[in-house]
Amino acid sequence: MTTDTPTRPDGRVTRRPRGGPARPRRGWSRWAATARALPWLTPTLVLIAGVVFFPAGYMAWTSVRDLSQFGVDNGPAGFDNYARLLEFTALPRVLTNTIVWVIGVVVVTVLISLALAQFLDKAFPGRRFVRLAIIVPWAASVVMTTTVVYYGLDPFYGIINAFLVDIGLLDQPYGFTRNAVPAFLTAMGVAVFVSLPFTTYTLLAGLQTIPDDVREAAAMDGAGPWATYRRIILPLLRPALAVATIINIINVFNSLPILQVITGSIPGYNADTTTTLIFKFIRADRQIDTAAALSIVNFLIVLAVILVYLKVVKPMRED
Amino acid sequence: MRRLVSLTAATVAAGLTLTACGFGGDDGGSGGSAEEGGSTTLDLLVPQYSDGTTALWEEIIASFEEANPDVTVNLEVQSWDNINDVIRTKVQAGEAPDILNIDAFSGFAKDDLLYPADEVVSEDTFADFQESFIENASLDGTVYGLPMIASARALFYNEDLLTQAGVTEPPATWDDLLAAATAVAGLGTGVYGYGMPLGSEEAQAETSIWTFGGGGSWTDGETITVDTPENLAAVEFMKQMIDAGATQPDPGATDRTPMLDVFIQGQIAMAVGLPPTIGQIEERNPDLNYGIAPVPTQDGSPVTLGVADHLMAFRNDDDKQDAIRAFLDHFFSTDVYLSFVDTEGFLPTTKSGAEGTANAERFADFLALLPDAQFYPSTNEAWAATQGALQSLVGQIQTQDAASVLQQIQASADNA
Repeated sequence: MTTDTPTRPDGRVTRRPRGGPARPRRGWSRWAATARALPWLTPTLVLIAGVVFFPAGYMAWTSVRDLSQFGVDNGPAGFDNYARLLEFTALPRVLTNTIVWVIGVVVVTVLISLALAQFLDKAFPGRRFVRLAIIVPWAASVVMTTTVVYYGLDPFYGIINAFLVDIGLLDQPYGFTRNAVPAFLTAMGVAVFVSLPFTTYTLLAGLQTIPDDVREAAAMDGAGPWATYRRIILPLLRPALAVATIINIINVFNSLPILQVITGSIPGYNADTTTTLIFKFIRADRQIDTAAALSIVNFLIVLAVILVYLKVVKPMRED
Repeated sequence: MRRLVSLTAATVAAGLTLTACGFGGDDGGSGGSAEEGGSTTLDLLVPQYSDGTTALWEEIIASFEEANPDVTVNLEVQSWDNINDVIRTKVQAGEAPDILNIDAFSGFAKDDLLYPADEVVSEDTFADFQESFIENASLDGTVYGLPMIASARALFYNEDLLTQAGVTEPPATWDDLLAAATAVAGLGTGVYGYGMPLGSEEAQAETSIWTFGGGGSWTDGETITVDTPENLAAVEFMKQMIDAGATQPDPGATDRTPMLDVFIQGQIAMAVGLPPTIGQIEERNPDLNYGIAPVPTQDGSPVTLGVADHLMAFRNDDDKQDAIRAFLDHFFSTDVYLSFVDTEGFLPTTKSGAEGTANAERFADFLALLPDAQFYPSTNEAWAATQGALQSLVGQIQTQDAASVLQQIQASADNA
């Protein structure tokens, strides 16, 4: 095995002697190497097939079947489930909510995290404790964090509501979690809060890979702090920023628990994203098949969002 | 590199050994049971009614297994939030439990998954159920569900608050209720008149109490009828209550359990409660000066919402039928049954249970209402989706026109 590995990169880079026969032999040896690696790759491949491809394929299959509300398969449905989805009158509002939810949470998270990471990159007394404090929301369960906020904002016995009334900001407790728009904004706030630790630490790790001499050189050339940050630090931070943004987009897009806890009791679809709507299709409407169709649409949306992001922002470009 | 290889090899080897152990153990187990002459395992899936539910079932199973050593019962307890998802997944995967305790059975019966009830209990047990519950447990003339526990609703009222507001007796009609609740709200002491929980937890119950009270119904016998003149009148009166400020703020997103806690704390003057509410008041605020009255209706005639949960047996393997019958007969034997019903604090569904229940006096207000109970049309297979639509949509009457909300729910029912 060890004797073979160098031939592959070698074959690619070195200029080979004129004449054809080298090519098939090199192709063959590559195949042979792959074949020999196969036994060691199999467990991973089986795992990926089992936990990624099979469920995704089963979901796609479910989305074109007619399932009874108790899961009994009544035969093929063609694209009826997708058609029912398109006829769903609240769909435009739900899609708009989804866009607001993803873009709002990710943009605010990244902006705050950039500032926090910059702050934590500086040496100051007690930095270790501040860094630790920022990890806490990450260590706590999302449902728990959300439930704490939800109870705090309860109009009958929530302490946040009581506090706002006591200091005179409100005349009487307000149902922050009882109306679609304020509840949705509250949920976005919680989502930002729980996304901060991961994003901040990813960016902080990125910042620490930037060598000091780059900053010194910039300072030497007379760049002010802001110019240094914009022209030197941010471009060098691009790979870390790309990872943080993409992972956040996927996470936030698929996030169910925060909205489920905060807006779950709100009637109608004004506070739903496509992800919580999937849940409502299953639990309230008992339409497993329509939910599967929406899951496929959800998957395509998140794929499109990431492709657009990669295309427009070109985060992986190295320049 | 070499270390990685040997590590991987060791892991694979360990994995294979473990798998081999698994298969070996399995083989040994089934071989042993065959020698003993066919032991049977029953899977039992039940919802959690209270913190004591699991212990209660374990006790019942232990006494059953003692009398029937050749039958093993596997208990699975799920929360009410999850049990519908769990059972759906199990059915879809072909792993339905043998016995299920849940509210509605008709979907399973329509999919031809259940034994008729008289095939899984003895004649004596079957004859002991009260007729009104048997009727509610049948589909197209065949009884599939075994009525297990019952519950009814009544109006809980805070006597102190009503007295302060100058209301001398609990309201019997909708107009009385509106007047009393408005009077309480007018006290200006931060208390609310009527607790109306239209959040997703149990909006269908609150709505049914009003529509049944106005002579409405969710079915015409064949189809689900949501958008009817009677139902519309009831929902419009609910909206009138909300608009008049006679309810707590934001009823559309208020769930029942937290709302009842606020009632128990003494901040809501009137709310519809269940038999277990009595126990909750005793536990959390025993000083509450409250009374129980029939639910107010449009013209004061008595109607209430009854709920019955059922046991049902899935037709998985006909070899298990005798074991299922033995277990269900054991469950419905008077002592075992009453220990369950009385501990959980529900109303019994059997004749012998009604005579023997230790809670007869405590639940007298509710037991008296049972003859006037109306049930959800849970035998209609579109009901589950209708109930879901009620839960997630009816609260919109807080901000929208009542008629259009009912039309949306009707559309969901028609789609199911």
